[in-house]
Amino acid sequence: MTAPSLYVHIPLCVRKCPYCGFYSEPVAQHNPARLVGALAQEVRQTVRDPQVPTVYVGGGSPTCMPMDLLGRLLYEITRTVRGFEEFTVEANPGQVDRPILQFLRNIGVNRLSLGGQSFQPQELKTLGRLHTVEQIVEAVEMAREVGFENIGVDLIFAIPGSTMESWRANLKRAIDLGVTHISTYALTYEEDTPLTADRDAGRITPIDEETDREMYELAIDMLTDAGYEHYEISNFARPGFACRHNLGYWANRPYNGVGPSAASHIQRRRCTRIADIRQYIHAVENELDPIAEIQETSALEFACETAVLNLRRIRGIDWAEYRATTGYDAMDLFAAVIEEHRKNGMLTVDDSGIRLTRPALPIADSILCDFSDIDD
Amino acid sequence: MATDHIRNFSIIAHIDHGKSTLADRMLELTGTVSSRQKRDQMLDSMDLERERGITIKASAVTMRYEHEGREYMLNLIDTPGHVDFHYEVSRALAACEGAILVVDATQGVQAQTVANAYLAVHNNVEILGAINKIDLPAAQPDVVGDEIEHVLGIRKNECFRISGKSGIGVPELLEAVVTLLPPPKDRSDEPAAALIFDSLYDEYRGVICYVRVFAGCLKPKQKIRLMGAGRSYVVGELGKFTPQMTPVDQLGSGEVGYVVAAIRDLHDVHVGDTITDDIHPAPKPLPGYVAPMQMVFSDFYPGNMTDYPKLRAAFERLSLNDASFTFIPQNSPALGFGFRCGFLGLLHMEIIQERLERENDVDVVQTAPTVSYEYKTTDGGVKRIDSPSELPDRSAIEEIREPMVKLEIITGVDSIGGIMRLAEGRRCKLVKTDYLSPTRVMLEYTAPLAEIVYDFYDQLKGISHGYATMDYEFLGFEAADLVKIDILVNKNIVDALSLIVHRSNAEHRGRKLLIKLRKAIPRHQFEIPLQVAIGGKIIARESIKPFRKDVLAKLYGGDVTRKMKVLKRQKEGKKRLKSIGMVQIPQEAFMSILDTGED
Ligand SMILES: Nc1nc2c(ncn2[C@@H]2O[C@H](COP(=O)(O)OP(=O)(O)OP(=O)(O)O)[C@@H](O)[C@H]2O)c(=O)[nH]1
Ligand code: SF4
Ligand SMILES: [Mg+2]
Repeated sequence: MTAPSLYVHIPLCVRKCPYCGFYSEPVAQHNPARLVGALAQEVRQTVRDPQVPTVYVGGGSPTCMPMDLLGRLLYEITRTVRGFEEFTVEANPGQVDRPILQFLRNIGVNRLSLGGQSFQPQELKTLGRLHTVEQIVEAVEMAREVGFENIGVDLIFAIPGSTMESWRANLKRAIDLGVTHISTYALTYEEDTPLTADRDAGRITPIDEETDREMYELAIDMLTDAGYEHYEISNFARPGFACRHNLGYWANRPYNGVGPSAASHIQRRRCTRIADIRQYIHAVENELDPIAEIQETSALEFACETAVLNLRRIRGIDWAEYRATTGYDAMDLFAAVIEEHRKNGMLTVDDSGIRLTRPALPIADSILCDFSDIDD
Repeated sequence: MATDHIRNFSIIAHIDHGKSTLADRMLELTGTVSSRQKRDQMLDSMDLERERGITIKASAVTMRYEHEGREYMLNLIDTPGHVDFHYEVSRALAACEGAILVVDATQGVQAQTVANAYLAVHNNVEILGAINKIDLPAAQPDVVGDEIEHVLGIRKNECFRISGKSGIGVPELLEAVVTLLPPPKDRSDEPAAALIFDSLYDEYRGVICYVRVFAGCLKPKQKIRLMGAGRSYVVGELGKFTPQMTPVDQLGSGEVGYVVAAIRDLHDVHVGDTITDDIHPAPKPLPGYVAPMQMVFSDFYPGNMTDYPKLRAAFERLSLNDASFTFIPQNSPALGFGFRCGFLGLLHMEIIQERLERENDVDVVQTAPTVSYEYKTTDGGVKRIDSPSELPDRSAIEEIREPMVKLEIITGVDSIGGIMRLAEGRRCKLVKTDYLSPTRVMLEYTAPLAEIVYDFYDQLKGISHGYATMDYEFLGFEAADLVKIDILVNKNIVDALSLIVHRSNAEHRGRKLLIKLRKAIPRHQFEIPLQVAIGGKIIARESIKPFRKDVLAKLYGGDVTRKMKVLKRQKEGKKRLKSIGMVQIPQEAFMSILDTGED
């Protein structure tokens, strides 16, 4: 059994983006030094087996913290874990310069995930991003110069005001930058965000469903043509550069999550940490449990989760892997739904497993939902 | 007890005019219930009655009353007011010599006041008029008295003025029950003959028959015979309602009470049948009742095929307590195996539906209610159908007949115009107009049941600002220029969506229905064509565009619990839909047939 991988959540940002549904708060309102202390302490307490396959430090914006604090945290992590094959840090363009990147590289970070989002100034403005188009390009170039081979860029499509042309241009810029990994996310209207309020009040017009779909299909076409492998609904990578940490999620393998609001998943038990920075720090400093919610999943629920997560991957469910992970035979559990969706041309079924067909990808939830629960 | 010391009477009225409240006061005045047991509308004992504040089932109670130093036995039957339950009133009246007709002093004579008064006259029952709710500031006992005299022929100065709520006038009314209503005839020397006027199923005791003894007497251990059914039983227990069931050692001529005789199936007992002595039977049975007629039909299908046996068991249980609701197995090409159920009216349907949901854990898909039709085949035969889908091809039919009713509407004169226009649009023929008073009028129509049974009442209430009331009575089937509309969803006819309408209205209804269906059926992975056909010819079409994008942008480790919930909810939503061919149709879609297209 491999040890759980490790996720560390930095719930701080310079300013909250209007579309963001993650737990994060403005860095100026908090004491990042104490937070880092608490995080480091929780990492030490949580990681039992140091043979952690992957580490991912995300947020929020890890890079909005002063460099010495980020450095201290990463140092603590590398002191605790050993032998990881992938160590990702999320970085915001505009918040990184050459020395920081150099430092990250030197300490052992081997994958950089850049929140680029768009190469159109107007779209960055709509999204409330604080960086410029140039800063994305600079960040990628600097990262490469200091030795990062594995660089990912996130892009958002279906931004109000965007067009097929602007999206095509964005994809082209990302491809031309030569990054190894590209994630493309449709803009999501999360509950209780200023963006959603603007939409509901009619201040912005969301992109229509048909265009949203065309944009998604364009991404698949352009990126696969450019040699990226489409390996998950929203993720593309040069061969060998798929994000191993995230692949772990979609395989439903165990992981530890550290930091406010982070979730762990070990042996069918999900523990979600307090989503409040001060309370979290208080708990950790006083050696109290920072867990807000524990959820035990039954073997069947776990099997359903695994099916849904596996099907997010383009390779889908692999019969043997699924049996090894869940103890169930996917065909036995889901025979009727598999048959229904196969008949409708939404699933491919063969000796190795099942996977969504290309027409199924844009409407995946209407298929995945049937795997979310077992009828009794 | 000697028959001249017995009085049997029903309380009858329009809905909500205060029957059950008056019964409460009488139970109190006679000391039948102690103040500790007391609660409002005592006799409405079913949960549904108490929740809805209406009487659904008639209930009987025996009271002791002193008059001039002698003891009397008063048997009171409280009846429901709603039109769906008229047959309950008829049954109650057949067990009585007298009736108190209650009229709300703020509402005046209403449609069910008239209908129930006619029933009383028809049953040869002596009527006492009671103008109720005189405690209310809006009460107009004089005006209402005039209406009663004019419409029902009960003299104004003979009407009692009462308040069932405060009790004013109730002692006088109770006194009049003894002095003015006739006692039952003394037939104690004749062979036993008791009318079953209601029945009830009790899990432990089996069927409990509510009886009125007309001749002879019944005793425990007596061997009795149900004359109509031709079956014999031994009386286990006899008793009276006080209002709890209280055993007695005999029920004599003229008395009202219950009989328990180890009868396991409610369907073995026909209300209206006569109980007699098995050894010395009565020469002929008492006049019975006409069985109540089911006016509307609707199909119920289990949401999940495997629930079919569960649904059958649920209906069997419900029919044990309600013999006026029918269910027969049904097989629809589109919806699979289910049941066709017959109801006395829409309220009755709602009540059964509610009990089905409440007492059983089955998901059901219900089709829109429909009336029955008759059709005459080209070879002269006449057939009755209670689902439009059963209508054969036009070429095999000579004519289609629809059920007609006598419709009575009572309303203020200011809304006559609006009501007449509504009735006109529903193919109702005005038979007569009768002024109850200078400001209120009674309209009598001959109307197609299908036009008035669903939403007509709501429209009527809307037009008259809530003041108009209506009542209807089945007349017979009559030929009309009717056609069947078929709906095709994804090129398949969905039989449960077929409907029979008048030709003049067919195209409009069809188009309207398509628009409703387009909104009610969720988008699918593919485009769904919707079509309306009359006699195989497509007259209108619409389509439901497929959804194009439905996928979460992100699903990573921290999101799993939340996102799984979202997906489960999406799946739950699908479950409430009925899958027909490849299309999932929600419950509302079946009900959209009921929209008559007026707006
Ligand atoms: N003010 C006043 N209200 C009354 C009187 N009698 C009845 N009510 C009210 O009128 C409403 C209907 O009374 P019920 O006794 O349930 O009427 P009902 O005729 O039995 O009704 P159904 O059985 O549904 O036909 C209730 O809210 C009573 O409280 C009365 O004399 N005065
Ligand atoms: S930077 Fe990222 S985490 Fe922070 S507010 Fe913006 S979108 Fe949210
Ligand atoms: Mg009542």
